[in-house]
Amino acid sequence: MATYQEFIQQNEDRDGVRFSWNLWPSSRLEATRLVVPVSCLFTPLKERPDLPPVQYEPVLCSRANCKAVLNPLCQVDYRAKIWACNFCFQRNPFPPSYAGISDVNQPAELMPQFSTIEYIVQRGPPNPLIFLYVVDTCLEEEDLQALKESLQMSLSLLPPNALVGLITFGRMVQVHELSCEGIAKSYVFRGTKELSSKQIQEMLGLTNPSASGPQGRPAAPQDPAVTCRFLQPVHKVDMNLTDLLGELQRDPWPVPQGKRPLRSTGIALSIAVGLLEGTFPNTGARVMMFMGGPPTQGPGMVVGDELKTPIRSWHDITKDNARHLKKATKYYDALANRAAVNGHSIDIYACALDQTGLLEMKCLSNLTGGHIAMGDSFNTSLFKQTFQRVFSKDHNGEFRMAFGGTLEVSTSRELKVSGAIGPCVSLKAKGPCISENEVGVGGTTQWKICSLSPSTTLALYFEVVNQHNAPIPQGGRGAVQFVTQYQHSNTQRRIRVTTVARNWADAQSQIQHIESSFDQEASAVIMARLGVFRAESEEGPDVLRWLDRQLIRLFMFHLRRSPFLQVFNNSPDECSYYRHHFVRQDLTQSLIMIQPILYSYSFHGPPEPVLLDSGSILPDRILLMDTFFQLVIYHGETIAQWRKAGYQEQPEYENFKHLLVAPVDDAQEILQTRFPMPRYIDTEHGGSQARFLLSKVNPSQTHNNLYSWGQETGAPILTDDVSLQVFMDHLKKLAVSSAA
Amino acid sequence: MEAKDLYIKPGNQERGWNDPPQFSYGLQTAAQGAPKRTPLNKRVPPPQLTGSPCPVPGDFPSATAPMTPPTNPLAPPCSMNTPPRPCPVAAPPLGGVMATPPPPFPVVEHTDSASSQSENEPDVDDVVTLLNWALTACRHTVKKQVCNDVAKRLKLFEDMWKSGKLSLPVRRRMIGLVQELKSCNWDAADEIHRALIVDHVNEVGQWMVGVKRLIAETRNLNPDLLHTQEVDQSLDTSSAGNSD
Repeated sequence: MATYQEFIQQNEDRDGVRFSWNLWPSSRLEATRLVVPVSCLFTPLKERPDLPPVQYEPVLCSRANCKAVLNPLCQVDYRAKIWACNFCFQRNPFPPSYAGISDVNQPAELMPQFSTIEYIVQRGPPNPLIFLYVVDTCLEEEDLQALKESLQMSLSLLPPNALVGLITFGRMVQVHELSCEGIAKSYVFRGTKELSSKQIQEMLGLTNPSASGPQGRPAAPQDPAVTCRFLQPVHKVDMNLTDLLGELQRDPWPVPQGKRPLRSTGIALSIAVGLLEGTFPNTGARVMMFMGGPPTQGPGMVVGDELKTPIRSWHDITKDNARHLKKATKYYDALANRAAVNGHSIDIYACALDQTGLLEMKCLSNLTGGHIAMGDSFNTSLFKQTFQRVFSKDHNGEFRMAFGGTLEVSTSRELKVSGAIGPCVSLKAKGPCISENEVGVGGTTQWKICSLSPSTTLALYFEVVNQHNAPIPQGGRGAVQFVTQYQHSNTQRRIRVTTVARNWADAQSQIQHIESSFDQEASAVIMARLGVFRAESEEGPDVLRWLDRQLIRLFMFHLRRSPFLQVFNNSPDECSYYRHHFVRQDLTQSLIMIQPILYSYSFHGPPEPVLLDSGSILPDRILLMDTFFQLVIYHGETIAQWRKAGYQEQPEYENFKHLLVAPVDDAQEILQTRFPMPRYIDTEHGGSQARFLLSKVNPSQTHNNLYSWGQETGAPILTDDVSLQVFMDHLKKLAVSSAA
Repeated sequence: MEAKDLYIKPGNQERGWNDPPQFSYGLQTAAQGAPKRTPLNKRVPPPQLTGSPCPVPGDFPSATAPMTPPTNPLAPPCSMNTPPRPCPVAAPPLGGVMATPPPPFPVVEHTDSASSQSENEPDVDDVVTLLNWALTACRHTVKKQVCNDVAKRLKLFEDMWKSGKLSLPVRRRMIGLVQELKSCNWDAADEIHRALIVDHVNEVGQWMVGVKRLIAETRNLNPDLLHTQEVDQSLDTSSAGNSD
């Protein structure tokens, strides 16, 4: 391997893993001195078109508290047909089916190129996937019509054998019976009365006393498709459901002047969660909630129905003036945990001009791996296409979404697991690899990820526990194994196993080697996730101060000013939305969010990346900026004037026309696949939308130092924001003083 | 998928702040898994801590004729005040693409109104006949209720077509769909139905689910049923009427 760059890239391509350090300090003390812990970003279901799954069960270590999977790091005695677990050193016999193996006839899981391998396992009858739509009817007519059409369309996009259900809500909550014949029936619930899971199931007629199990609990349905009238196979009910959706009306309760509609979101969700709990526990299911405004009634309400009382802002929150915040957050947190325990995920599609309560409800998606989409109206391309992309398929024509995931991590003895940050919950499994030092979701080596996609990425934090001056472990390498079990969208159960190793190094004699193995990009995202995690639970300024102590240059500057940590200019809902996506995306997308990409288009040559700096804004350039959530095309002053004058229409200025089209085409490529769909801004010098660009660039020329530059190069940004230069000088001083 | 079905519409700027453009189903599915033409993932390394000024873009030797930035483009065009004339030599390549320019943004123009006629105006009767052929075959084994439901929607489709409520792309693609149905290419027919409901949900939303069901049920039939005499008869008749 020529360089660490190549090593890092190859490992990411093969295993979906990026470590902060690729050489591990062999003692606990040295590891702590490095500030950034040994940690990694891990993408459990990274797309591997070249990796065919194998059709047998993985071989496990027989030690009760180990259970690691056979992997290329294990020592094998082919003659005695015995293998030694590389984590606990237990010697295990191979199962009888492996009788024919030899060193020239190795099973795939022992070959180094299969450090990541996927198994298809047969575990009982395949469970169908379930999609439960929860739909707000307090929408404007145009929005309701657009939403109805999107839902009708989605019936053609669902996996063919999936079960589908419909709950609508406004002032009341209606659970619709889906049957193939006769008049459509529904069960109506008051939007204010909190009911227990058991009560909901009883009222829906889901509990059959005569069929109770020994403990008096309702027996699992024999044939769920028959017994549950509320969740039916889409191929049977698609026509009726299409009609039902087509006939949905706006919530009939009149909304008086100066009031908001009464929206019982909390009860609607509680019924959805309870319905699934009672009928399909531990099956892949997706609650998809569509809402056009905040919950205004019942448990989980976020704001009252008086329009003169606005929904809470950051100001209200810091002044402790947000009446419903704590109670609502607690309510949705409890629902989220119940759903997560059952492997059910909850998506939120919120389309409104004002906030809808994402701050209170974000845990529903964050804990379960569900999506959050935020738009202005259901009648927008942003919502429609984001929603369509939930059902996107890979190159094999199979759905990208996966369900019911669990991740288990094993480590060699010198390493322990501190925790994980990402769209997961703890399974609270006890074991020998758990560190007492909790980071993120800690105290466990197993997590549940109810809904996954090929880009879902967790950050995992480790602790080196080897004592100072203890000798480097025999073999010189530490290892980590990630075992992800999940339900594929084709209902197969699969297990993906990734086993990686890195060399130990003595920090005292090899500090330069360790430093050269540092992955700045991965570390930036890993530390940023930690920062966001802490910001969600602690005071903002403390997090910023803590960040300043982490000496990672450029990215920390941008992170500090990003909407993840700077709440000024973004509503609480917007912050929740940005953070939700940041804490689950893969490395490349996460980096874009922290430090947007800027490309410059001109007559001087092909498009080139340029510094995110005001000096890059020039009159004769077009800039394309990607912040992940927005794509901005900014035309410099001269370009804008030429465009306005219409030169691109004249045949002799065809090259100008090409110049105008080039960034649009490049943006298009990004727009075609990104999830969620970003906003698209076409602006120019002096345009009102130019602020999207101006707020992201480093103001190297502010009104303070404009006249100290030699000649005018870029466009001055009038702001008091700290410039990168000043910030890095300050950081350098901090670093020197803390090391002393 | 025809080239006509790969298009982009502008977003809804009235309802959505900076609403992105909308891609047709064909364009979206084509993009899945396809490698990016010009991945925009590079960054410029930051300036050193010693404080050197950031590099100004364009500090490279220019490969083409020098550009004279005009100061007033509204003045009568002359070599001083206009964008550079294209050199007889090929213009500087953009984004690594060859000298042939990138295809223009294929924005849909709304000229294909419901009432536009073209030389090869699709005939509704052909389409309905084929759909009824499939439905007749289904009536042997599929529940009556379901067949009637499908029939109701096929009627709605026919009525909408005849009263000019369906746009040309919808009509054209329905022809394609029934051709695939006739050739027993179930997946292809299914894909067309999906593309239609994604791209034109407001036109097809009420009846397309009937076509979807028809494809699903027909593909499960015993192939012999598709060629009984009764069925062939319905193919021969010119009448598009459907009896209940």
